Formats: sequence, structure tokens, C-alpha cells
Amino acid sequence: MLLRGCWRRLALPPAPRPGHRRAGSEAGTAAAAPRYEVVVIGGGHAGTEAAAAAARGGARTLLLTHKIGTIGEMSCNPSFGGIGKGHLMREVDALDGLCGRVCDLSGVHYKVLNRCKGPAVWGLRAQIDRSRYRENMQKEILNTPLLTVHEASVEDLLLTEPEPDRPGKCQVTGVVLGDGSTVHAGSVILTTGTFLRGMILIGLQMHPAGRLGDQPAIGLAQTLENLGFAVGRLKTGTPPRLAKDTIDFSGLEERAADNPPVPFSFLSKAVWIKPEDQLLCYLTRTTGKAEQIIRDNLHLNNHIRETTRGPRYCPSLESKVLRFPNREHQVWLEPEGLESNVIYPQGMSMTLPPELQEQVIRSVPGLEKAKMLQPGYGVQYDFLDPRQLTASLESRLVQRLFFAGQVNGTTGYEEAAAQGVIAGINACLRVHGKPPFIVSRTEGYIGVLIDDLTTLGTSEPYRMFTSRVEFRMSLRPDNADARLTPRGFEEAECVSQQRYKQAVKMRAALDDGIATLKSLQFSISKWSQLIPEVPISSSRKSPVSAFDILQYPEANMEVLARAVPEPLGKLAQWRELSERLKIEAAYEWCVVNQQQEIEEVRRDEALRLPEDLDYFAIDASLSAEVREKLDSNRPQTIGAVSRIPGITPAAIVNLLRFVKTNHQKTEKLKALPQTGKYLPGKRYSEKATSQRQISAEFSEERPEYLC
Amino acid sequence: MALRRVLSAGGRRWAQRLCSAAWGDTIFAVSSGHGRCGVTVIRTSGPGSGGALQTLTGRPELPPPRVLTLRRIRDPTTAEPLDRGLVVWFPGPQSFTGEDCAELHVHGGPAVVSGVLRALGRLPGLRPAEPGEFTRRAFRRGKLDLTAAEGLGDLIRAQTEAQRRQALRQMEGELGRLYQRWSETLTQALAHLEAYIDFSEDDNVEEEVLSRVDATVRALEREIGAHLQDGRRGELLRGGVHAVIAGPPNVGKSSLLNLLCQRPAAIVSPVAGTTRDVVEVALNVGGYPLVLSDTAGLRDATDPVEQEGVSRARDRLQQADLVLAVLDAATVPTEPAGLGAALGSLLPPAATTPCILILNKADLLQGDGGALRDACAHGDPLPPTTLLSCKTGEGLDHLLELLARQLARLCGDPLAGSPSLTQSRHSLHLGDCVAALARYGRERRRDLGLAAERLRLARRHLGRITGHVGAEDVLDIIFRDFCVGK
Repeated sequence: MLLRGCWRRLALPPAPRPGHRRAGSEAGTAAAAPRYEVVVIGGGHAGTEAAAAAARGGARTLLLTHKIGTIGEMSCNPSFGGIGKGHLMREVDALDGLCGRVCDLSGVHYKVLNRCKGPAVWGLRAQIDRSRYRENMQKEILNTPLLTVHEASVEDLLLTEPEPDRPGKCQVTGVVLGDGSTVHAGSVILTTGTFLRGMILIGLQMHPAGRLGDQPAIGLAQTLENLGFAVGRLKTGTPPRLAKDTIDFSGLEERAADNPPVPFSFLSKAVWIKPEDQLLCYLTRTTGKAEQIIRDNLHLNNHIRETTRGPRYCPSLESKVLRFPNREHQVWLEPEGLESNVIYPQGMSMTLPPELQEQVIRSVPGLEKAKMLQPGYGVQYDFLDPRQLTASLESRLVQRLFFAGQVNGTTGYEEAAAQGVIAGINACLRVHGKPPFIVSRTEGYIGVLIDDLTTLGTSEPYRMFTSRVEFRMSLRPDNADARLTPRGFEEAECVSQQRYKQAVKMRAALDDGIATLKSLQFSISKWSQLIPEVPISSSRKSPVSAFDILQYPEANMEVLARAVPEPLGKLAQWRELSERLKIEAAYEWCVVNQQQEIEEVRRDEALRLPEDLDYFAIDASLSAEVREKLDSNRPQTIGAVSRIPGITPAAIVNLLRFVKTNHQKTEKLKALPQTGKYLPGKRYSEKATSQRQISAEFSEERPEYLC
Repeated sequence: MALRRVLSAGGRRWAQRLCSAAWGDTIFAVSSGHGRCGVTVIRTSGPGSGGALQTLTGRPELPPPRVLTLRRIRDPTTAEPLDRGLVVWFPGPQSFTGEDCAELHVHGGPAVVSGVLRALGRLPGLRPAEPGEFTRRAFRRGKLDLTAAEGLGDLIRAQTEAQRRQALRQMEGELGRLYQRWSETLTQALAHLEAYIDFSEDDNVEEEVLSRVDATVRALEREIGAHLQDGRRGELLRGGVHAVIAGPPNVGKSSLLNLLCQRPAAIVSPVAGTTRDVVEVALNVGGYPLVLSDTAGLRDATDPVEQEGVSRARDRLQQADLVLAVLDAATVPTEPAGLGAALGSLLPPAATTPCILILNKADLLQGDGGALRDACAHGDPLPPTTLLSCKTGEGLDHLLELLARQLARLCGDPLAGSPSLTQSRHSLHLGDCVAALARYGRERRRDLGLAAERLRLARRHLGRITGHVGAEDVLDIIFRDFCVGK
């Protein structure tokens, strides 16, 4: 596909090299080495969520990070959430993840974006106090039961023979640390962000680093490459930081926070800060002078000139100026904390040499005298083609090795956190021998994110947008708990009893409320009399229910309760319930209609394809082009196949037929186990031809093939 | 089934409540019989099948299951009788797909068939099937036995291929350009609305974008609405199998056309490159409709008029249902491999279009041409091949026999060459598209998310005609048209 040219892939098997140990050969030291069920490498937004989720699920977990002090570091913008990203945070919270709760304890400016565009696309966002976030996150992580945190670098992976009945050429059994010692693990989660061969670029200078001031991970990058992982390169950047007391805010546009602030977490009744204590953000714009400076100095800007793919969204000021010349570009001045003197100029990501960055800054109204505390810089880093992962984020190449976050080609704290929770849950389930926990794209933004990544891959840093989501009307921030919390509690066991009870209680109250509203029916003329403020434009003769009335923009539970106090008064008193009833009413028609399509997608997703299918070898009528696409995208279900561009309906049917044919062959074999090679309760593993594995997998795990 | 397993107790309640309306839509399609054959079978599958049968036959009771029953079929809105035909009711799970199914065996005229299809399309919850959809439904219910599945992939490929060619022919014309323009306009409007939703709060996406989208949608709704009201069908596609005569210059392609249509429709001369434009005639061969095109000889021409003729000839080849490849019997290699190579150089690379190879000028062969005759009977890798002399008429019977055999195969495919079916499918989708655009206007003031949903729906309906547009395409437009990013 797009990236084919820039993937690097090395031959296999991995060449033995010093320090690359096989677990089986070190019986002597094994007893001494510590053993954990789940080991998480990296303490960023993916790593913290992954470690906490694994521990919540009951796994003895170890989090390995270079520095405990950087756990919870927000290395780019001082804000969380936004449109699409806020949806992800609600879903992370519904699975009892951390970032929503920590943000409710650390924000300095809470604002719901898209207020006037309908609740399905509301974007919860907050400016966050960096140091408070770090402290609160560290407190949370260091006090999570079953979770141990160590400072160490990871240089290598311990590997052994693969489990025979699954795809993968080996399995991971632990990690080798910087000091040469080893830690054994049931599963390992890699969340190394931009640290794989990370390179920082300012002007013409470049030096290896994962983040300004932190060492990159080179040994690990080497190991992954030797294992045969396809690796690509991406770039991103961060703006310079400014001293607040040198900025003249007087002529700038203000943006005030919401009063009252809306919390991220379903568990938070309110956020920590008093509404009136919230800080302001300011808006200013670049001028022609900034554009001139950038254009005149492109020769001093390695990051921009190189061909590594950067994001189309969140681009640097340089690329904005080049692509959309002769315009003003917005710059948001965002506070970094209550006591902080640092301002983050959102929109001014730059990689010019520092003295030129200063010139650009001073050309912007309000920043004429601003002092630059730290220059902006670009980061280039390795990422792994996420099509090498299953939907549980486990690698197809190395069993029990999971990947989450920026290393999979995403950008953003929320995208990282969402993958972290899923990887943590699944690493834990894997160790406990339970089936994986997959969020479908019909169930959540998390599902869309992971399905897009693992089926289609990415050619630029992947960011969540609501426009990527087919079922946007059903997957709303308000109902994330109803969608995910029960599953998180019952299947993943990563959700607390308290949260589960609260979600179940809310769900029951909603069901009751909707039933009450639907049963309350009057004629249109009666309604017009009762609530003259709601203009009812229906010509229906039959009675209309209170639920129908609630759809009107002018109607809400308060209005209805005033008109019909019994039985609606009680419902209207519960503020959160009233708001959610109103949303349910507004979207009912659309959600019911989308349900048909959702069913369609789910049925296709239930038709699973074997993970190790050799698409070039199978005897099905497929064109070479289709085979190549299937091979590089490795779809897991027929649903995923149908989302790969260029796959024809005929190819889908032929694939189905092939799978079905092979399944029937196995059935016959099963009926006549006369060779004695078949052991009941175990799958075929002799002569592991891909076809047999396929059939076995279908017959054991997916009985819907039988019906 | 899978749903039940996936959802936990709480989630299940949520889903059940949402599913209460219906759990699947009902699809319909012509399943066998072509434009002019005696009987056409129209099949439906899904929970609405029984209701559709009741409505179309105008009777409250369903016929006994799995028994052919004679019924009058009416248009439910106008009560106008469409046909008297046989209907069969297959309650699920004992049916082809495992769902409730119905079959309507109607008289095969294009007017009757498209009348019934239109009537079905107007029933709530019914929609035309996508290629392969019946098969996939059967698959999900475990209903597809292997012998039945054998030919299905090929059939679906043929259908998709026939639809692609049909679409290609259509997209060449006025109508095609019109649909394409609507598609681009609607996609851009949708992309701008999505940009407004995803980026307007922080970025330079201004309010004007929204009013421009509103105006575009209103104009589009009016335009498509007017097009649907227009009684004239516009340019009619010619029904039948489209066959193209192709070959090097001066091998007798135009002579073949004249021989087949029994009149001098095309100019013939001994000068290579006589035919410049495409000459088209409609014929009836063995009862099958055939549209035959003569094209310019394929060579690297230097004359600009001839060059254009050659390029038109190549376009025609792309759209052909059947190729009549003509070579000069006197000059071709006599062994099958060499013949195959000579043929391969004529056809577009990797073409899968059915083909008949005609070796013309058999009268000029030295002796009895034994080697070449053997090669003709050789079969694989050669397509059906025959020797012919346009001059003496020798070999014409064999050619007509080969042609009739190919036509029978191609016409067995109900979707090939039936533009009236294509048109009724188009008007169904366009109607749905207009309805969604109209609701956009109503939803717009209430909730932008809901309004965008209508636009997505409209785009999907139009996409059934012009091709699917994915999220990435929309994002491409957003990033092309707006400077978003912080």
C-alpha cells in the first residue's frame, strides 16, 4: 500500500547475538529472576493505562520506566480531550481507565466543544495543570494494588518456542533490563511512544532522544527489527514555550471556561476546581511577517524538507504557511498550570533554528516582547505497522507481546490511553487463559481506532475524528458507560463493583424513564395546551407520547415535569438522568435506524478468518492483487475484509467459500479419528498445514460456523 | 447469535431495546432470466418478504409455503395490475438464505420486470440487493451447501463485471457525467460539514462554510428531484450484449459486420485504415439481442483522425461484453501458442472479457489449411476459434453457432445488458437520496450531528450508483480545503 516503500523488514529468524537469550537455556538464573504476569514497558499515557488495567483485571503487573518522575508527563500540549478525543476519554473511563478521573482532579479550564451542534458530537476538553496531572497520575499508579513500578531501561526480550496452535514464530517470556538482569512475564506490553530510534530536530541540528532530555530506546528497536517487524518512520512536533509574564494579553480575544465545568469521568460529580477559579485562554493570529521569515529560511529547516510523513492535522506552522499561504493562522495561548509561568502557543509548532523561532514569535500580536523559554522541535521516530497486530493488540509475530500507543502510529494522549486500556485488559486475559476483549467499531470509538489501525494501517500519525465513525449517532459521550461498562465488568473484569453498579442503576433508570415517557400519551391539542412553549408541528391524529415531545429542541424534562408533575416530577429531579433522557429522545429515530446497519456489520465481524492464513497459497479464486491486499492487511473478520479498499464482493464470497470448504473437511476428519493422531480436547497440531489450523480454529472457537 | 454472546447482560438490554424495531432489512433482486426470455424470477429475502408478497398480490393471506401459486401482481400505490404470475412463499429457515424469502415468477418483458422492481423498492424496509448479498445471507445462516456455492463466486464476479461495464458505458454519456457531478458535489458538501463538526471550534473553519453547505444541499435536492420528475428517460442505453469487432487493419472487420447484418452498414475497401469511427448496429442472433460495433484497425497510426479512431476502438474494447477478434488467416502463425500470442497483442492486458477468434480470408489459404484447422479445434489457451471467409461465406454457420453459444451464456446473466433494470435501480437510489437531502434541511436547525447523518445517508444512496466514498476520501477533502491544525 502507500507505505510499502518505506517499510523496512529484515530476514528471519533473528540472528543470535550477545544478550539475546532464550528463556529455555537459562535454568540456572531463572529461579532468581522476578516473575510477573504482565510487564509493561513505558510509563506514558498508553503505559500507565495498560499497567493499571492489567492490575485491575487481577494480574501481578510490573511497570518499567526510565524515570518514575516522568510518569504522567504530558510531553506536548497541556490539554486533554476535544472532539472525538473526548469520546475516547469517556470510553476509557467507562472501562475504569485513569485519564478521565485524573483530569477531573487536574484541570484549570474545562470546556465542552461543539455545544451547539448536538450531544453526539460534543467534545469534552480541558486545559490541564501539567504538574498536578503528573502528581495525581503518579499517586494513582503508585497506589494501584498488584502494580509494581521500577526504574529501568529494557534492552531486549526473552523469547522461546511458540505455542503450537496459534500464529507467531516465537513467544515472549520476559525482558532483559539495561543492567543485564532479567524479568519473566506472562505477557509483555510495549508502549515506547516516540522512543524507538527517536530523533529530535531543531533547525539543522539533530540528536537522538525520545523527548527533549530523555534517551531513546535503540536496543529494543534493534530487537524488534531483527524479529521481522515492519517498521515505518513518522514525524511530529511541538511548539516553543513562552513566559507568561512577558506576554501582552490586553488586545487579545479571551476564551472563558464553562461554568459549571462538565467532568470527564462518570464517577465524578464535579471537578476539583471552583468554576470561578478557572484560567482563561487567549487567541491571537500570525501575520505576513511570520510567513516571510519561514519562507526565507526553509534551507535551515531539515525537519520540513525531509520526506518522513507528518500529520495532515496538527501540522507545523511551516507546513501550514507553505500549504495555505497569505493567511492568518490561529495561535491559542494556553496556560500550563495554576502556578506556572509557562504559556503553550497552540498552533506554533516549529523546527526553525531557535533564534529564528524567536523572530517568528515576536511578529505575532501580543507576543512582541515574549520570552521563549524553550524552542519548538520536531521528533522523528520509528513506528510498527499496526497491521501486524490483532484486534486485541497482540502481535501476530511474537505471541504474548502487545503494543499500544504512539508506537502503533497514532498521535494524541487519548488515542494512546485508549489503546493502553485495551492492551492491558488483553494482556491480563491472555495470561489467565481467557478469550480476548474486543471492542467492535459498532460499540465505540476505541473499536473504530483499533480496527482502522489493525486492518488498514496508517501512513500518517493517526488521530481520532468523529468523521471516521460510521455510527456516530449511537456512539455518544453520554452513553459510553451503557456501551462498555457492563462488558468491562463481566468479560474483562477490569471495572470496579462501584462503577458497575452505578452504570447498571443508570441504565435501569433510563429504561424506566423511557417507558414512563412513552406511556404518557395525549392528543396534540392537549399537548399544545399543556406546553405552549413547544411548537408541535405534527398533523398526527393519534395520541403523541411525552417521549416524542421531548425530541423538540424547546422541550426538556423540566418543561414536561411542570406540565405533568405526576409522574414526571420525580424523573426531572435527577439532573443527569433528565439530560440523558432528553438525548435518548432526540436520537431515538436515528439510533433505531442505525441499528440495522450495526447488526449487519456485527454479523460480518462474527465471521472470523484464521490469523495465519497464507493468502498466496490458498486454493481460492482470488486475483493476485486481492491476495496481496489480504496478505498485507491481515483482516481478522469478513467485516474487516469488506473495509479494505479494492476488495470486490466476488473476492469476499470466494474467501467465505474457501473457509467453509476447509471447515467441512475438518468436520469429516473429526467424525473419523481413526488415525489416533487426534487427541480429544486438543486441536490438530501435527503437520500444521495452514489449512488444518484454519479449520480447527473455526470448529473450536466459533461454533456459529456450524449452524 | 454472535451478538448475544458478545454483549453482556447490561449491554444486551441496551441492544434489545434498540433492536426492537427490526433486526434486518429485506433485499430483492432479479435472480434469473434475462430481458427477453419467457419468465423472470425476482427474489426477496428478509423479514419483510411476507409483507411484500401480501402487498403485491393484494391478499391478506400468504400462499401455502413452497407451492407455486398463480396470483395477480399489482402496484400497491396505483393498484395498477403489473402481471399475472406465479409466486412462491418460503418461510425461514427452510429457504435459500434461511430468512423469509419470496419469489415472483413474472413474464420477462423489461416493462413488467422494472415495474415490479419499482413497486418492491417503494415498500418500507425493502432495498435492492448488493452484489453477492443473497449468498452472504445464506452463508451466515449456514445455508449454502458446497455444490450450490461452486458457481456462485463466478456468477457474482460476472454480475459485478457486467455492472461495471454497464456503468462504464453509462458514465461515458450525459447521464454519467451528471451522476458524477452530483456525487462530487455531495461528497464535498459532506466533507465541509464534517470539517465544521470536527474542527470549527479551534480552527479556521468559519460559519460561512455551513451556509454554503445548506445552499448546495438545497440546490442538489431540487436538481435530483426535477430529474426524477422528468418523464423523459434521457438517453436510453441500448439493451443487449455489446460485442466489439477488433483486429489489426485490413483483416476484414467491416466485411464481417456487413456479412452479419446482411447489408453494407460499413464502408469496406482494400486500403488499411478505412474505418475511422465506431460503426454500431443492433442485431438479433438466435433470439438474443446483440449490439455489434465495428472499430478502427488497431495499429500505431500516424494520421490524427486515425489515431482518434484507434483510441475509440480501445475504449470500446474496455466496455465490451464480448470481443470478436479478427486476424488474417493467411498470415497468422499456425500453431496454437503463436495464435494465442497474436490474439494477446490485440486485447487489453489482463482482459477477462469473453472472446471469439475469427481467422478471416480463409479463401486465400494455400491448400486445405490443415494445420490451422487443427489449431482452431485445439481449445485452451485459445478461445472458441473459427475459420471464415467473408468473401465466400465459408464458415459463417460455424461462427453463428459459436456466437449463439456465447450469447446464451452471457444472457443467462440477468444483469448483463438490461439497462431498464439499471434505470429502475438508479431511480430507487436517487429517490432515497432526495428524501435524505430533504430531511437534512429539517434536521439542520435542531442538531447538526443528525443533519450530517442525513447527508451521509444521501451520499450512501448515491454511492450505490457512482461508487463508495470512504472516511479517508472525506478527510482528504477536509485537509485539502481547510487549514486545520493547531
